Amino acid sequence: MAGVAVVLISILAFLYAKTREHDASSYFENVALLRQLKQLDSRWELDVLKSRMGLNSNYDSLVDPLSDLNQLREEVHVVVASQKHFAVEALAKANSDFHGAVLEKTRLIEHFKSQNSILRNSLVFLPTAADDIQEAMKSGGEGDRVVLARAMASARKLLLDSMVYSQAPSDDKAAEIQMELEALETTKAKLPAAAAEGVGIFSAHVRTVLREQPVVNELLSRIAAVPVAARIDDLDSLLSNEQREYGSQAERYRWYLLAFATALAALFFYAAINLIRSHGVINRVNQELQRANSTLEQRVLERTDELHEAQTELVTTARRAGMAEIANNVLHNVGNVLNSVNISAGLIGSTLRDSKSPGLSNAIQLMNEHSADLGAFLTHDEKGRVLPRYLGKLVVVLATEQEIIVRELKSLTNSVDHIKDIVATQQSYAGVTSVIEAVRLPELLEDALRINATGLTRHQVTTVKEYSDVPELLLDKHLVLQILVNLIGNASQAMGSASGIPHRMTLRMDIAEFVDGRRLRIVVEDDGEGIAPQNLTRLFVHGFTTRSNGHGFGLHSCALAAREMGGTLAARSDGPGQGAVFTLELPVEIAKVLQ
Amino acid sequence: MRKTSALLAPLLLLATFAQARAALDEPIKPLPLALNPNPARAEIGRLLFSEVGLSANGKVSCASCHDVTKGGDDSRVHSIGFNGQPTAVNAPTVLNAALNFTQFWNGRAGSLETQINDVVQNSIEMGSKWTEVVATVARNEKYRASFAAAYEDGITKANIQNAIATYERTLITSNSRFDRYLRGERNALSDDEKTGYAKFKQYGCVACHQGVNVGGNMFQKFGVMGDYFARRGKLTEADLGRFLVTGEESDKHVFKVPGLRNVALTAPYFHDGTAATLDDAVEVMFEYQLGRVASKEDKAAIVLFLNTLTGEVVHTP
Repeated sequence: MAGVAVVLISILAFLYAKTREHDASSYFENVALLRQLKQLDSRWELDVLKSRMGLNSNYDSLVDPLSDLNQLREEVHVVVASQKHFAVEALAKANSDFHGAVLEKTRLIEHFKSQNSILRNSLVFLPTAADDIQEAMKSGGEGDRVVLARAMASARKLLLDSMVYSQAPSDDKAAEIQMELEALETTKAKLPAAAAEGVGIFSAHVRTVLREQPVVNELLSRIAAVPVAARIDDLDSLLSNEQREYGSQAERYRWYLLAFATALAALFFYAAINLIRSHGVINRVNQELQRANSTLEQRVLERTDELHEAQTELVTTARRAGMAEIANNVLHNVGNVLNSVNISAGLIGSTLRDSKSPGLSNAIQLMNEHSADLGAFLTHDEKGRVLPRYLGKLVVVLATEQEIIVRELKSLTNSVDHIKDIVATQQSYAGVTSVIEAVRLPELLEDALRINATGLTRHQVTTVKEYSDVPELLLDKHLVLQILVNLIGNASQAMGSASGIPHRMTLRMDIAEFVDGRRLRIVVEDDGEGIAPQNLTRLFVHGFTTRSNGHGFGLHSCALAAREMGGTLAARSDGPGQGAVFTLELPVEIAKVLQ
Repeated sequence: MRKTSALLAPLLLLATFAQARAALDEPIKPLPLALNPNPARAEIGRLLFSEVGLSANGKVSCASCHDVTKGGDDSRVHSIGFNGQPTAVNAPTVLNAALNFTQFWNGRAGSLETQINDVVQNSIEMGSKWTEVVATVARNEKYRASFAAAYEDGITKANIQNAIATYERTLITSNSRFDRYLRGERNALSDDEKTGYAKFKQYGCVACHQGVNVGGNMFQKFGVMGDYFARRGKLTEADLGRFLVTGEESDKHVFKVPGLRNVALTAPYFHDGTAATLDDAVEVMFEYQLGRVASKEDKAAIVLFLNTLTGEVVHTP
């Protein structure tokens, strides 16, 4: 995906770069450069003409453009060589043609300067030269007047013709002048020295004019003909064409760019629409997820509760199973032993029942009847005579009975011991199976109250509950229940001794913070018969009871149970008739069950 | 073309006589007061101008043949090269040479730098190679420092040439009396000298010796109205002049018209140094270039005028 994006962006960048590629400003600079060159060239030509006309007094203006021309030519060369061009060859050729044209023009102008100076000097001098002849003839003195005059006339004609020729050179005129020169040459021989010299100089200059005028004219026309301007125009048109090319290329690329950009925009919109749709989908899915989540949470809570219940059931079942096992064990073992106990007891019973010991009382009774004459009885009475023998047999029988009883008692004692052992063993097991579970104390207290309901009602007890807000705690539920049942039962019975009067039992429950942790405190307070001070110390001893039908196990087992749970059971009483306060303290952990 | 020349014919005649009208539009222009070259580079050039290390054997420098104290050339007919051999032509003056449109008698160098380039390698004049010259210059600590300060790329062939050329561009001899006259100081010239100038124009000397350098801006054949070389004889290769550059028949014996500024100081004259004095030179010019006859007084006046063209060298070493 990223790769595709990179490719697209690079295509876009490429197209954009292509539209920007050609910098038109360089074209305009080049055109300005060429225009400058053209101007320089035309001014140069104009100066040439002005020099020909005599309007320029010196040739500096024909030389000064050279440096500028060369510099501009260099710049054009740079433009052609360095910049990127379409028609590279055509431009190079146009440039070299232009260069050639400039060189040609320079050369021609050099020649022009040289020839023009000569021509101008001679032309200017001709009238003076003719005057000099005149002067020389005047001062000369000797010589044929006519010849002199004719020579002078000839010279003047030559002067005129030369002037005319210089304005409008033609071959006819040149031939004419040539002829006149020759004629003057022959005349010169007849002239005096000074005049001859003058004529010689004059003729030399006429010849110079004749020679130089067509040369200068030709040079001028050739200079005008040098196609410098045309070559510059060639360069210009090439560059313009190129510019047009670039323009159309840029145009083309702009179209490509537009098309591509449109495509990209369409793609973008398509993607955007998809994105929005998918956003909607995502939102919907999110909401569903949230709903599902909350439902899930709900279900989880339900499950947790179910698990809780299951756990509670399991715990109860386990407990029951444990109890059943113990019971079974006990039942089984004890049952076994009880059999022999029964048998021994039965045997002892039957032995005693069937004991011949009443015979002894009969004998004694008989003796007592005959106590006046016991001796005669024993010797003369038929019953009396058997009595010693009978008593002797009775002793044996009673001894045997005693033996049996002793024996059976021993067996019985053994059996009871055995039973005690069994029970003790089961009690040791009882220590191992303690089940900790999360307990809601208010409910537990209600359970304890319910178990003792009949007693509480019978004894007209009002229960006051002072519970603080206690969370679920991890405790051995049944052990605590056992203690509570015991304590409430004891309180109920303590208040029951003085029945007929309403009593009040206060139940308090809170959690106290101690240095070494938290403790659950349950207080059972009654306003019953109270506890005598001398009994306080023996309260929890095994077998101690103040009740007629009590067995003394209750508080003892409660204290044991409390200790088993790492807690304490304490009793307090102000004395008989002052009621009693039983405080159960247990270290606790707050249940963190399935939050 | 012909129509316009017919119309302008009277103007032509008028214009030619109009030259002597006013001091404003004279064919000779006064020198610029300064060409404003880079002073740091000119200073390096000044030192290099006298630097004998530019020659192969360290015997000659530019100043050996172009002594600025002696009018910008030596006073010899031909100069003496690094090996004691005579050069082919008389040394032209370096003063105001920056105003010449080409350099050398036959105009083969288009710029001062090209002239320096050629002379250093010329087998008679300095006979050196540029690599050696650059090395020699680079060995000198002072040159290294000054080049580093004035040029970005330090000591190179182009920079050495540029430095010397920059120095030569400072050798503009402004404030000649004639220039002061041209600028409006009517009393800078005496009457005879003014007459000399008038004659200079009248006889047509000014047709070639014109412009800001009183010449130096065109080529001309030596022997326009007469065959100078036929008279002088002993033709050498140098006498062919421009023909050696262009190869054209019409360029035989064509030379650059020398500038006449400081001409009073640059004897002997012409490319062959045959004219020992100005009078001799003026004589030759009248005969072979002008084809005119002039009186002694006129020639003397012209010589007087020529003497007013001597200016001041602004930077004296």
